[in-house]
Amino acid sequence: MKFIKAAINISDGLLTVFKHLFRKPVTLEYPEKRRELNNNFRGKLTVDGCIGCGVCKRVCPSGAISYEKNLNGKVLSYTFDLNKCIFCGNCKYYCPCGAISMTKEYELASANKKDLKLKYNIGVPEEENIKENK
Amino acid sequence: MNLLYFMYMEYLAKYNIPKLFGDITFYIIPFCIIALALLIIVLILVLAERKLLGYFTQRKGPNRVGYWGILQTLADAIKLLCKENITPKGVDRFLFNLAPVLVFVPTFAALGIIPYCAEFTFVNTSTNVILYLILAAFPILSIFLGGWASNNKYSLMGAMRSIAQVISYELPVTFVLLSIVVLSSSTNLTGITLAQYSRAGFAGWFIFPCIIGFVVMFVSILAELNRCPFDLPEAESELICGYNTEYSGMRFAIFYLSEYAMLFANSMFLAILFLGGYLSPFGGYISHILLGDSYLASILVYFEQVFWLFLKSALLIFIIIWIRATLPRLASFDLLKFSWSILLPVSIVNLLLVVLIKFGGLL
Repeated sequence: MKFIKAAINISDGLLTVFKHLFRKPVTLEYPEKRRELNNNFRGKLTVDGCIGCGVCKRVCPSGAISYEKNLNGKVLSYTFDLNKCIFCGNCKYYCPCGAISMTKEYELASANKKDLKLKYNIGVPEEENIKENK
Repeated sequence: MNLLYFMYMEYLAKYNIPKLFGDITFYIIPFCIIALALLIIVLILVLAERKLLGYFTQRKGPNRVGYWGILQTLADAIKLLCKENITPKGVDRFLFNLAPVLVFVPTFAALGIIPYCAEFTFVNTSTNVILYLILAAFPILSIFLGGWASNNKYSLMGAMRSIAQVISYELPVTFVLLSIVVLSSSTNLTGITLAQYSRAGFAGWFIFPCIIGFVVMFVSILAELNRCPFDLPEAESELICGYNTEYSGMRFAIFYLSEYAMLFANSMFLAILFLGGYLSPFGGYISHILLGDSYLASILVYFEQVFWLFLKSALLIFIIIWIRATLPRLASFDLLKFSWSILLPVSIVNLLLVVLIKFGGLL
């Protein structure tokens, strides 16, 4: 009785594995083929139309955001340190004018840590900031 | 083989080459053919196993080197060739170097006594079956040699396990072989193949009167080959890699090669014993049906026989890989218990049944 049960179990397992042969492999050959990303994907940050209120710095849980002020106390530029960033999206959520957005870019590996510090100057068009950060 | 021998001798006599030369080379040339064919077959087998294991687990397997990953094993072989041969401290140098050589010799010899087609058995003795049984158990001895000489506790444990395994699984194999010998009244592999001939094709195969024996033999051969779920001697998760922990480079490659060569040889052996060897499953050969009794057909038949034998063994290898993808490893104690308390009695009962079928008038 015990052996019949074992034999049934084994054949059941074998059948399950055999069915896998006809399924599509879940592996993707990464650099050539990529997985489709969701619209909510949280990748690299970009800033456009910032008013310099400083909310994002206060809500950032990992302290990745810092800013430079001039003598009058006006914010000149923001620095997003992606070494510290945990891509939680809090800054985007709290931004009062929707200036922060998260792109779908996720290949952020770099040989130099400085490359991961993104500096955004306020009052400068978005394209120039992006150029600077590349 | 006789036909080939006379053809070869006649060809040599034409050019006045002495008979002695022919006698020697007639046995050397086939083994060179085996050596080359074996290398190619092992390359294919390793790739097939990795690919199949990939697809069984919804992965793709190797797919980077060459189209569809075809050159993967070749790249691995080149990598192993280039690696340093490390001899660790405290090993028995002579035995350590001897073990990889000895593991390959019986494997090679075992391939030499298999009838590939009606005219092509390299060494055709009247007791081929018993010779094969001895040769198939021989690599385990060299595995023990390697494990013992390695001066490593994991190697030694793996080697001891493999010895315990082969002792307990050799007996059921012997009893099943006896039942095959009873059925075919022959101890020659060609004789066994021919005894399975019937006009209806596969109806004459010994798998039908001896189905219990086939299952027992299949399980025992899994154990003899150290395949999953009986891969205790090289259990990666417990013993690192068992007997070949200390081997690297070319020596490891030879162990690897002989493992797959033995897999191929044993699956062919199973195909010969139970699945009719080189006989066609339809009764008549396809080349005879297509081309009639022409001279071309009489040559093509030999290739067709090799094809049938390889196809049957490929089917068995597929099942072995399938089992590897499914079942987890047995505990060492369970393995021995399974052999002595289940497989051995079942194989003896199978022998009795077969004798009843053969001489009791049931067939």
